[in-house]
Amino acid sequence: MSALVLAAQGEGFTPPGKEDFWWPIVGSDTSAWTLTRPAVLILLSVVLIAWFLLAATRHRSVIPGKLQFVGEGAYGFIREGIGRDLIGSRDFMKFMPMLFTMFMLILVNNLFGIIPFIQYPTMARYGFPVALAGITYVTFHAVGFRKKGFVGYFKDLVPPGLPAWIVPFIFLLEFVDKFITRPLTLSLRLFANMFAGHLLLLVFILGAEHMLLDLGPGLKVAGLLSAAMAVVMTFFELLVEVLQAYIFTLLTALYIGGALAEEH
Amino acid sequence: MSTPAPRRPSPEGRDGPLEEAQAWSLVSYLLAGLITFGGLGLLLDRWLGTSWLVLVGLLAGAGLAFYLIWFRYGTR
Repeated sequence: MSALVLAAQGEGFTPPGKEDFWWPIVGSDTSAWTLTRPAVLILLSVVLIAWFLLAATRHRSVIPGKLQFVGEGAYGFIREGIGRDLIGSRDFMKFMPMLFTMFMLILVNNLFGIIPFIQYPTMARYGFPVALAGITYVTFHAVGFRKKGFVGYFKDLVPPGLPAWIVPFIFLLEFVDKFITRPLTLSLRLFANMFAGHLLLLVFILGAEHMLLDLGPGLKVAGLLSAAMAVVMTFFELLVEVLQAYIFTLLTALYIGGALAEEH
Repeated sequence: MSTPAPRRPSPEGRDGPLEEAQAWSLVSYLLAGLITFGGLGLLLDRWLGTSWLVLVGLLAGAGLAFYLIWFRYGTR
């Protein structure tokens, strides 16, 4: 019914869709030389992170200043909460640069989704999560092969103590899990959360704008509700954005830790 | 059930990020089970001209994934 009313009263509302994620800045086609908004944003994020970390570590003191406190807090959280717990105290330090970089990069690019005027979560373009998951994928397999040898790594896929007849099936399952569905779920989880979240915000904000500006008095109330929902969902998005950056880093560390762990 | 004793307790004896991380990785196992054995069932269906093996494969895959999850994380 509402769709009919909308259609009757105001033509020309186009619901947001995947086209809203295509933002060419230089060039207009899908060739490799088109500079897009997410490409600019990820470069901006690198500059911002570098500036923040340099500023946070420039004047190091025993009693940290504000910036140093935030910087050390973020690093300590990843190092103690993720690195040491999931990879183990013996090996985790050499993975810390990667884990911390990943966390900061994903966090800042996710937060771009709700920062005014930037308002675009870079990870909503699937290529970016794919690249990050690819780094995780190569890293944890390389670490596993180096630690256990080629045959040993495959042997170690199956946990010991299973009934003999089920081992081939479990091996197949573990193989598909580690080589196919892990990178798939890792990248898709980040991409889909950012894509869906941004789309949700677009629905409420564009819907509010349309109902408040273009439609009759009855729908202005609905427009206000929609605007209120946009505010609520923005805070919800903040939660999702931080959580997804954390989960991506957490799973990367878990996969590395799993590849290093000896099954006996 | 009342007192699950984890084999690898975190230093402070709390439910650390390990449990949390494992919970997030379960989706991957379930998908792997469904895709692998559902896919095998589908292939066998094509080959033998039947139509029910894909269902058997999907159920077996999900069951196997749950079994593996239980074996890996539930029995420790």
